[in-house]
Amino acid sequence: MSIVNSIEFKDVTFGYKDAQKPMFENLSVRLPVGENILISGDVGQGTSTFLKLLAVVHQPQDGAILINGENTSQMSFEEFLPLRTKIGYTFDYGGLFANRSLLDNMTLPLLYHKIFSFEESRQRGIDLANQFGFYNKLGERPASVTGGLRKLVSVLRTLLMNPEMLVMDDPFMGVDPQNVARLIKILNDRRESGEIRHLYLTSRDHNWPKQLGCKTLTLNDGHFDLSEFSEAA
Amino acid sequence: MLKPRVNMTDFVLESVDSVGHTFISIFTYTAKVLLMVYLSVRAAVYDQAQGLRTVLTVVSAQVYFTGFQALPLISVLALATGAVCVLESMAQLQLLGQPSMVGNLLITIIIREIGPLLTALIVVARSGTAVATEIGNMRANREIEALETMGINPLSYIVFPRLVGGTVSVVCLAFYYNIVALFGGFMVATFIKDMPFSFYSDLLANAITLDDIGMFLLKNTFSGLIIFVVCCHQGLTVQQSAHEVPAMTTKAVVNSIIYVVIFNLGVSMAFYIHQLKGWGLL
Repeated sequence: MSIVNSIEFKDVTFGYKDAQKPMFENLSVRLPVGENILISGDVGQGTSTFLKLLAVVHQPQDGAILINGENTSQMSFEEFLPLRTKIGYTFDYGGLFANRSLLDNMTLPLLYHKIFSFEESRQRGIDLANQFGFYNKLGERPASVTGGLRKLVSVLRTLLMNPEMLVMDDPFMGVDPQNVARLIKILNDRRESGEIRHLYLTSRDHNWPKQLGCKTLTLNDGHFDLSEFSEAA
Repeated sequence: MLKPRVNMTDFVLESVDSVGHTFISIFTYTAKVLLMVYLSVRAAVYDQAQGLRTVLTVVSAQVYFTGFQALPLISVLALATGAVCVLESMAQLQLLGQPSMVGNLLITIIIREIGPLLTALIVVARSGTAVATEIGNMRANREIEALETMGINPLSYIVFPRLVGGTVSVVCLAFYYNIVALFGGFMVATFIKDMPFSFYSDLLANAITLDDIGMFLLKNTFSGLIIFVVCCHQGLTVQQSAHEVPAMTTKAVVNSIIYVVIFNLGVSMAFYIHQLKGWGLL
């Protein structure tokens, strides 16, 4: 049974500090669930910010984000935790711990939540690194590897948590095509097996999302054009 | 262009307004810092996932950095201050005809006053800045957000162990400071007055009271807590860019010192007022 059954943005207003105007003002949308969705929009339209609100990384300044009808802004960290561990989020950049090796970065959530033992967690990290061809880099810190590898590790860390809902901010940017193909295969396999039920992503390159069978939601001036989505669907 | 002052009333009102704003901002900041102590302890208690091992790993790293690695610097300062205190006080007490009071004076100056303050200042300079910078950079690099997305509460994973480790370190460091400072005092006493260790230790043992130990624990425990909660709070106020980190670190240092000095002063004043009342002088 799915943990996330409905997602609704209700009159959401959000803006960054010192920004001249809010990124979103009274944004209301009921997001399609159980689909692969590409959140599309021109630069500066707020696609990344929207994903952060969706993954509850940011809280709206006004309005509500309802998951299963519950207002996430009013939930404490502990109350939201069961949903949190099932919502995987990958950053557009950053998000890896600078003072930890790539392997430690990948296994941190597994160990913290005691999902697997120390040995099992490490083995799973090593297996994924082998699969993606960076086993020899596992001991290195994020600062000493390429941006593409950092992005890949960030995505793999999220996948290791086995999330039901995956929110990915430009996950393929900078990653070499061979590994993007591997990543897409894993995502498609997990979608087919039902491990991943909802996928939301942004991508500068629209060819890769096509291989995931993504439907497109376009952000324009802080609002979605849903008629376009229904046609594509 | 400067706005011309219309009259004295406007000037007074503007001044009152400015003082009011300052008080409100100080009160708000203090409330936020106190709230962070409560929230981090609460988060650590409610965090079902975080094991004792995770907390102890960060606590031990904090104790190693804040406590152990500060020993050489503390040793030098403690020896110097202990020696100077004995040197100055012996000369003055000799003039007053009370050389045996040196024990009381050392306990009062070193254990009650200079020890907690100097230890706190060293910890602010070494570890407070490090904690504020580390957390500020973590914030700028989205590491804090990443923790949240993984279901790891930064308050229980980042802040709480640093508060515990920092507080333990400050108490231990202050204890070490006192021992070394008193030893420094003994070296000078032996050198100048050829004072035997048994006589020197008797002077100190007769002078020290439970009040001194209570004051030592109170001042150092809360100084440690204040330093690390202020520094963690400042680190977490970094919003988006690494450029904010140096400014936040400076603010963390300034605020920590102000809060620690005010707290130490308050405890000393309360203690002496209580003591004077006990003697019937107030």
